[in-house]
Amino acid sequence: MTERDGLAAATRAAGLRLTAADLEALRPAWKRYLALVEELRATLAPETLSE
Amino acid sequence: MKAPLASLTAAPLAQVAQALRRRAVSPVELVDAYQERIERTANLRAFITPPGQRARREAQRAKQQLARHGAGALLGVPIAIKDLYATRGVRTTAGSRILRDWVPSADAVLVTRLRAAGAVLFGKTNLHEFAYGVTTANPWWGVARNPRDVRRSPGGSSGGSAIAVVAGLCAAALGSDTGGSIRIPASLCGCVGLKPTYGTLPLDGAVPLGWSLDHAGPLTRTVEDAGILFDALSGGRAWRQAQRVATRGLRVGLLHDSIVRPLQPGVSNQLEKAAAALRRHGLRVRDVRLPEMGWTVVTQLVTLRAEASAAHAQWIRARPRAYGPDVRIRLQLGALVAGADYVLAQRMRAKITQAVRGVFDDVDILLLPTTPITAPMVGERTVRWRTGAEPVDGALVRLTAPFNLTGVPALSIPYGEVSGLPVGLQVVGRWNDEARVLAVGRLIEALASR
Repeated sequence: MTERDGLAAATRAAGLRLTAADLEALRPAWKRYLALVEELRATLAPETLSE
Repeated sequence: MKAPLASLTAAPLAQVAQALRRRAVSPVELVDAYQERIERTANLRAFITPPGQRARREAQRAKQQLARHGAGALLGVPIAIKDLYATRGVRTTAGSRILRDWVPSADAVLVTRLRAAGAVLFGKTNLHEFAYGVTTANPWWGVARNPRDVRRSPGGSSGGSAIAVVAGLCAAALGSDTGGSIRIPASLCGCVGLKPTYGTLPLDGAVPLGWSLDHAGPLTRTVEDAGILFDALSGGRAWRQAQRVATRGLRVGLLHDSIVRPLQPGVSNQLEKAAAALRRHGLRVRDVRLPEMGWTVVTQLVTLRAEASAAHAQWIRARPRAYGPDVRIRLQLGALVAGADYVLAQRMRAKITQAVRGVFDDVDILLLPTTPITAPMVGERTVRWRTGAEPVDGALVRLTAPFNLTGVPALSIPYGEVSGLPVGLQVVGRWNDEARVLAVGRLIEALASR
């Protein structure tokens, strides 16, 4: 799945109605968001789960 | 003897209230004088709904109450209201097209408190659409302009409130602050802005943006005015307490971390001058580090995108075209934030909060610039630093958003100018320590005028 297809699927799942132009407009913000969250995830160790 | 009206329109709230009490000027004369100035400065786009006849009728009533020596700390004082707060019988748009015809049947709690203190509600000020941005380039109600240089942005989201204060269109104004929306326009336009401790001022009846980040607060000409208005809004005594605070010997921390770099050289110079002046006045200034604040951008981004999108969940799905392009993209992005990402952001937020709490074991006050730059040009999108480029909106919230995440009180005070544009410095204190923040703010204000 391409990044664009992934974004389209995510917006549909979220109930957003986006045109192709809307998707293109959203893409840079989405990419930046994913990169920043990845940094955050890498910094915070996962919480330990025990059964 | 009558006070000269032209000088009163530019006077601090405290002086206006005193002139009204002495009956040196009537509220009606004052309202007319402000109104005349509003008409002359329509190009600034300070107001969405200017005061009009309703304010004049309120001024008539206040005049009668003043003649009877009525009570109320703000009796007859014209206060402008950010158009985010519901006002009974007066259109409340939140700067949006969606709410362009909304006429609330009840006042927001803070508006009720202003009325109870005797204030004349003086128009509804322009803001970034739904307070979701920091430029007040409003696509529906006009691009707001900085009164110090109309080619430049006033900042936002409470841009209209800052303009109204600086241009002498009211005695003071009410704003709101989710990532810096009181302090940023105060810094860029050259007035005082107070974001109090989270939860101190109730937001019932205000259109929400981010429930865990939203704060209400005043924009004023002086620190004293901010204290007076804050006490009227909160029902507390922070300003009275501030007047008893001994500033000599207070410990002031200067942040030395990556988040406070880069700065415009002129802004950096003003900060150094203020620190030197505080040292000369017996405050103990030292460097402190808060590396956790480097995570502010992502933490604020995830938290606000998710919370704002929750507040707009129905409209952004049903009526996306009813939003301006910048706000629409922010809200659509927020609808994609996963619950797990929001949890990550809250874990980091807890770390930042703990670090800020810890630094206040070593110092009483933090001092830093409010914004790393002076007012950008309207429409300017990027700040060029020697080290690279930064989006203007990111730069503007870089030094203010940490204190929305942590909820501690923060005050912006004008401190000098760079190339004719004001510089704002930010005084930050412990949770609920508005008194000390205001006391140090007043000292810095006095030092700035020397």
